[in-house]
Order: sequence, then C-alpha cells, then structure tokens
Amino acid sequence: MAQYRTQVRIIADVLSTAKNMNTEGNGVGVTTLLRKGNLSYTRMSKLLSELVGSGLLLELNGDKISKYMISDKGTEFLAVYHQFEDFAQSFGLKL
Amino acid sequence: MEMISDVLQFIGVFVSFSIAYVAYRGVRRIHSSSLLRLTAAFVFLGFGFAVEGFVGLSQVIPNLPFPTMAVVAGLLFETTGYFFLAFSHALDVMMSKRMGVALLIFPVISFSGAQLIDILSTLSFYFVLYGVVETLYSYARTRKPDTLLIAVGLAMISLGTFVQWLSLLYLNVDVLLLLQIIMKEIGLLILFIPVLNFAVGRVRLDGTI
Repeated sequence: MAQYRTQVRIIADVLSTAKNMNTEGNGVGVTTLLRKGNLSYTRMSKLLSELVGSGLLLELNGDKISKYMISDKGTEFLAVYHQFEDFAQSFGLKL
Repeated sequence: MEMISDVLQFIGVFVSFSIAYVAYRGVRRIHSSSLLRLTAAFVFLGFGFAVEGFVGLSQVIPNLPFPTMAVVAGLLFETTGYFFLAFSHALDVMMSKRMGVALLIFPVISFSGAQLIDILSTLSFYFVLYGVVETLYSYARTRKPDTLLIAVGLAMISLGTFVQWLSLLYLNVDVLLLLQIIMKEIGLLILFIPVLNFAVGRVRLDGTI
C-alpha cells in the first residue's frame, strides 16, 4: 500500500540513493535519484538545491548534466537519522 | 506505603525526562516531527509524575502545602502525555493510509457526566491502550524485539492506569495505590530500554569505546 513520507524521510531516501548508487565514485544523476526517490522533477530539483545548499550533497558539474554525491556531512546525517529511526521504531513510530 | 509510591513517582520522572531528552536530541539533529511529539509526550508525563509525587509528599511531610487542584493538574499532565503518544500513532496510521484512527476517537464520545478525575484516568487508559495496539501492529510489521518490549511496557502502564481508576472507586484500599505505581514503574523502566540501546549505539557510532 502506498504511504505518505515525511520530509525528513524523503531527505534520507535521497541521501541513501546518492550514497548507495554511487558505485563508480563519479556521482549519481538526477534520473536515478528521481527513479529511486519517487518524486516529481520539480520537487526533486528544489530538494536537491536545498541539500546542496545545506552541504548534505555535493554537486559535480559535468559537461551537460550535474551529478550528485553525498558529502561527509550527509553521511553523518544519515547515520544519525538511522539511529533515531531505530529509537522511534522501538516506540512503534516512523520518522 | 505512601512514601514508597511517592519515591516510585520520582523514578517515573527520571525515566520520562530521559526519553524526552533523547527524543529532543533527535528533533535538534534531524528535525523530525515524530520525535517532537514523542518529546512532548514524555515531558508532559514527566511533569505529571513530578506533580503527583509532590502531592504525595505533601500528604506525608507536614508543613508542605500543596493545593488540591494539583492532583487534577498532575493527572491532566499525564493524560496529555499519553494523548501525544496516541496522537503520534494516529498520525502514523493516517500516513500509512490504513484504518485505526477511529479507535482513538472512541473514548471522547463515551463519557456522560463523570467527574474530571475519572474522565482523565479513563482517557489515559484509552490512550495508552491505543498505543499498545499500534505498537503491537508495528511489531508485527518490523519484528523488532525492542518494539515488542515497548508494547509490553505500555501494556503495563495501561494496566497501572486501569488499577489507578479502580483505586479511585475503592478509596480505602492502599494496595491498589501501590500496585498501580509498581505497574507503571515497571512499564516505564521497560520504556527506558530504547534509551539505553540508543546510548550504546551512540558509543559504537562515535567509536569512543
């Protein structure tokens, strides 16, 4: 069944994708983030610029398209997120 | 016996504020609204236990004045805490688009001219019971042992709340008063387990030990 996601969960999903799909080390394209993040292009573009602005994602500018890579701050955010997700899940709650 | 139950109330204060503190750290770090509601729930519960503890002490220690309304205030804090806990679950239910919110609405329409203390105790009981049902549902989904423990802890608290309600009916039975506090304390101590797990996990993550 489809579920609504909170903003913090969407951010964690995008960061996870940027981390896990970056197998070659040269970043992840918007198409991959859109497919895995299940967001509209407009919403994803806005979110990506927010995440880059807050230093959670790094924007790698290629010839034509931009690619995104998780930053150290983003990795730390994800670790903290998973810790508190565990804590909330113990109480039967979702983040 | 009164003194023991008052001391136990202050253990409840410690456990509640510890959970609230961890949840608040989560609010600060990742801006989660679920954790904000959890913080609110345990801050109110902590204040509830504190007020009830002080009210109890005022009956044991002479010259320690405490207004009668404080009893109601303590119960009000406690009920508000349980409400936030139940409300968090209700929001989760709504976000996952499944039925279950109706259970929360039921107690609001089931009163007829009862006294305020009775109403608050009954509401607390329903809210915690709702929390038990939703936590058990969550356990069925995640199979996380901690979640089952919390469900057991909440069940103990709801039983304690039920006994508290009974003790209002049978005012002369001291055993009921102590029994409800012990049940609630065992429940709260079980709720403390995620806090301990969180502390252990944090040490592992930081690599300080």
